[in-house]
Amino acid sequence: MRIIWNIAKREFKANFNSPLAYVVICLSMVLLGIFFFTVWGGGFWQADRATLAQMFLWAPRGLAMVVVPVTTMRLLAEEKRSGTLEMLITLPVRDHEVILGKFLGAWALVLVLVASTALYPIMMFWKPWNLGALDTGPVFSGYLGIILFTGAAVAIGLLISALTESQVIAFFVTWVVLLALTFLGFGIDQVGNPMTRTVLSYVSFDARLAPFARGMINTRDIVFFVSVTFGCLMGSFWALERRKWA
Amino acid sequence: MIEASSLSKRYGAFRALDKVSFEVHRGEVVGFLGPNGAGKSTTMRILTCFISASGGTARVHGHDVFDQPLEVRKKIGYLPQRASLYGEMSVWEYLSFVADMRGLDHGVFKKRMRDIVEVCGIGQVLGKDIRTLSHGFRQRVGLGQALVHNPPILILDEPTSDLDPNEKAEVIKYIKEIGKERTILLSTHNLAEVEAACPRAIIVSKGRVVADGPLDEIRTKSGRVRYVVTVDEQRTFDGGVELRKGSKKAAPTAQEVQDALSALSGVSHFKELPTDDRAHSFEFLGAPGTDARHDIFQLCVQKGWYMLELRREARSLEDVFKALTKGDERLDRGRKVVVEDDEDEAEEDAAEDEADDEEAEDEEGDEGEEDGADDQGEEEAEDKAKAGDKSPSGKKD
Repeated sequence: MRIIWNIAKREFKANFNSPLAYVVICLSMVLLGIFFFTVWGGGFWQADRATLAQMFLWAPRGLAMVVVPVTTMRLLAEEKRSGTLEMLITLPVRDHEVILGKFLGAWALVLVLVASTALYPIMMFWKPWNLGALDTGPVFSGYLGIILFTGAAVAIGLLISALTESQVIAFFVTWVVLLALTFLGFGIDQVGNPMTRTVLSYVSFDARLAPFARGMINTRDIVFFVSVTFGCLMGSFWALERRKWA
Repeated sequence: MIEASSLSKRYGAFRALDKVSFEVHRGEVVGFLGPNGAGKSTTMRILTCFISASGGTARVHGHDVFDQPLEVRKKIGYLPQRASLYGEMSVWEYLSFVADMRGLDHGVFKKRMRDIVEVCGIGQVLGKDIRTLSHGFRQRVGLGQALVHNPPILILDEPTSDLDPNEKAEVIKYIKEIGKERTILLSTHNLAEVEAACPRAIIVSKGRVVADGPLDEIRTKSGRVRYVVTVDEQRTFDGGVELRKGSKKAAPTAQEVQDALSALSGVSHFKELPTDDRAHSFEFLGAPGTDARHDIFQLCVQKGWYMLELRREARSLEDVFKALTKGDERLDRGRKVVVEDDEDEAEEDAAEDEADDEEAEDEEGDEGEEDGADDQGEEEAEDKAKAGDKSPSGKKD
């Protein structure tokens, strides 16, 4: 556990040694603000209700398309390219400790960003502005959904980073995969074939997150995200182990 | 402390290591030599449990590298080629991180740091970010992280690559310093460094050990001895036997000196050396196991030549290295691939022997024509056979 903690701590702190983390956090907050208050489907003001549903709709999309690919692209790809992985792995560490440490370090950064969105409910519905009585149930379940979703997304990014030595490739592949998984559920109701609709709703992150935003905590959705996370971490472990036998 | 036994590593059809065996004992500083691509780094990566071997076994400090990788890693300090460090961390943060990873108590770490700062000379850069350091200092920090837990074994993979000559000399000085109380396996292709820091060397070529032993032994095992003779080209002395006989001998020409020297038994490979003095200087090789100095001295006295210099030395390590690893740059791993089973191998060897016998019978009649066709090649092969008697091929299995 000590090893995992050390690796995670180093990974987390490394993000703040460059402007990258600051830029990503600031940019994400600005974009989330724009989408929350104005853009498609009616902004917060048009809803005319004390709800954060709009935030729980757009936050995962922003996380999937910008934050997670940027955060995870360098996790193992850069370590492999620069040779620091050899230095790290020849310390008395197990491969799964490296994977878990990297995962937790990156996930922690994403969660910092997620936590910063708590400013919205706090400032809008408590102090300094009290725009109405907020139903806190969907807020908590919405955050639970985002936490589970980011875990799965970071694990996917880590797996892709473990499979390549190029940060750029890791970024684009992660971006494409998360984009596909997020928007698979877009317009799912228009799909005629029930079988296809079932499959799409099963793997779509958007479809899985929708109940959380409405205040419904569905065990199947939790198991889905945890399974994706666990599966990708296992995949990352195997990808790291592959060096031994290559 | 380090035992490698028949280590093999294949990357697809390419054999990076082919049954490499050696031992490094407690307190030894051993140079691990070989040209680029000879298998040095692969061996070290196996010993540090970074990669696995395709065959064979290895033990470090009594622990098996395959079954007990954590125990092995606890006992070794490893500096990979081109020490790659986390550039965004300061030197102190980085070394502290390594100490944490190795489970060192903070107090112990601080105490160790006093030694490391002194030995590695990193006191002035402790607070600096690693990315701002020169290669030399990064290498020192890399050395520092290898020493942070005071390991009994150090494995250093080309610690001086990319360094300028001054930095190289300093790193070698540090290695000598820390090698007084540790077992060190030092990989390099810089022979001067090995001669400066290591009493013993292992030479690998094409994934095989071709020489293993003390440096003097390796030089001697190459067989040939190098002589340098310099005689005055302007003056002769009266005591010369030939002059006493009455023959008026003028000052010797280069050709005369060479002819006279080459008439001595067992000498070959003459080369005239440039000299500032008014002298003839020759370098040549003597036969293995002989000492031609008496004959050379006698010859000069007989001829009435003033001998200005007579030097006899074993061939330099560089010469031996070149002879043993010649052709390695082609990375020719033309050997048959994938021989997993010992029985299959034995059958294959037997089949090859039979084929060789048949070939020999066929060629018996033509032998005369081929004799001496490639003296130099034979010589190199002979050198290799002598020096490489610890190679797998040279072993009496």
